[in-house]
Amino acid sequence: MIELNNITKKFTLHNQGRTNISVFKNLNLKINPGEIVALTGPSGVGKSSILKMIYGNYFFQSGEIKINNYKIDHKYPRNIIELRKNTIGYVSQFLRVIPRVPTIEIVMEPLLKINFDQEEVRERAEKILLDLNIDKNLWNLSPLTFSGGEQQRVNVARGLIRNYPCLLLDEPTASLDNVNKDIVLNLINEKKDKGSSIIGIFHDESSRKYLNAREIDITKISHAN
Amino acid sequence: MEPILSVQNLNKYYGDQVGCKNMNMTLYPGEVVGVVGESGSGKTTFINSISGNLNPDRGKILINKDNEIINFLEISESLKRLLIRTELAFVHQNPRDGLRLDVSAGGNISERLMSIGQRNYGKIRQTIFKWLDKVEIDKSRVDDFPRTFSGGMLQRLQIAKNLVTSPKIIFMDEPTGGLDVSVQAKILDLLRKLVRELNLSVVIVSHDLAVIRLLADKIIVMKNGEAVESGLCDQVLDDPQHSYTQLLVSSVLQV
Repeated sequence: MIELNNITKKFTLHNQGRTNISVFKNLNLKINPGEIVALTGPSGVGKSSILKMIYGNYFFQSGEIKINNYKIDHKYPRNIIELRKNTIGYVSQFLRVIPRVPTIEIVMEPLLKINFDQEEVRERAEKILLDLNIDKNLWNLSPLTFSGGEQQRVNVARGLIRNYPCLLLDEPTASLDNVNKDIVLNLINEKKDKGSSIIGIFHDESSRKYLNAREIDITKISHAN
Repeated sequence: MEPILSVQNLNKYYGDQVGCKNMNMTLYPGEVVGVVGESGSGKTTFINSISGNLNPDRGKILINKDNEIINFLEISESLKRLLIRTELAFVHQNPRDGLRLDVSAGGNISERLMSIGQRNYGKIRQTIFKWLDKVEIDKSRVDDFPRTFSGGMLQRLQIAKNLVTSPKIIFMDEPTGGLDVSVQAKILDLLRKLVRELNLSVVIVSHDLAVIRLLADKIIVMKNGEAVESGLCDQVLDDPQHSYTQLLVSSVLQV
């Protein structure tokens, strides 16, 4: 379960004339287990900012965010690190990895972090890469030279190899063709059926409908400015 | 879980000059803390002060060794040296500062082992080969002198030399500083693997925010000898609150 209560978020740009940009005021949001929430609204309205606040990347000025009843508190970074290890998965829009590390190892990483058996992890990584149509010849190469769609699927594989209780998805299908898009959407549906609380940004309406997502237009629930 | 290293209100002055002041840090097992800031901000003074290379003027350094808390600045010199050889390790920016260039690669790796009393030649040799393998240096190079090694190999040898006694806390000062980017990537990959496999706790100083972003869980941003901002690495880099951190993050060139 993910809960946002009375969140206020603003950016203060100290080096650009101390400009204040107010993003959210009194933002409330709740995502139940086994539910997919899709954030909608024009770009720049703060859809990604919500995901980043939940994942701990973005600070917020007031209010509280609770993940399965644990509060996100930036005074205790250790707790956020633990939450990320065990509870929250995040598929970002862009792949960020160490150069030269093979694709298969990148996909295995989230499970190796929690001391899974190497061989078992490798099998699971191979399975999800096969499911996502990543050619076997690419597994031992770094994904940094892959096409946009392939990179995105590697990112999805890394984010979905585990069954996180909470899942954040930032345009996970944006640069995929229709066949691969359906594969990713089906994987997301599987996670929902396993009880994940899922919140995401999905560019096209057909994806949101396919996932049977509860749509939330941010401009209607938060009154910044 | 208890922190393995806790630094409280640490100060180091050079005469009237501030080296670093009011520094605080907690490091948990398996965690990587990055220290960033421009040249002269006090990063190196800080890491030297908490690793036994420099004597700080004020403050506390608490090390958790098998659930016993050791007050690092108040123990005897001999116990301190023992800790430095066994529990702590320091990886220098320039591997030539951390290696003996007139001693073979194998000799460099075995030095810490012998300093803690290992004498069995066969066993030591075995450990040397295990570590050469871990840092991807060919076994056939074991008797070669470091001066015949490339910069990247030297750095990997320095890492092996330091980790051979299974220290728990590793200090690194710009470990990828003088290396070209392809070698840098390989060292980063190696460091990440070792941190995960050996559950190492690391304090790493770097002026390269991209390196810190890939390795560190937490970050301390220093300016004029003080920490201006600290916290979760992603948060400080994605949503910096202090004007200096904002300047630092926005000054990075995009490739």
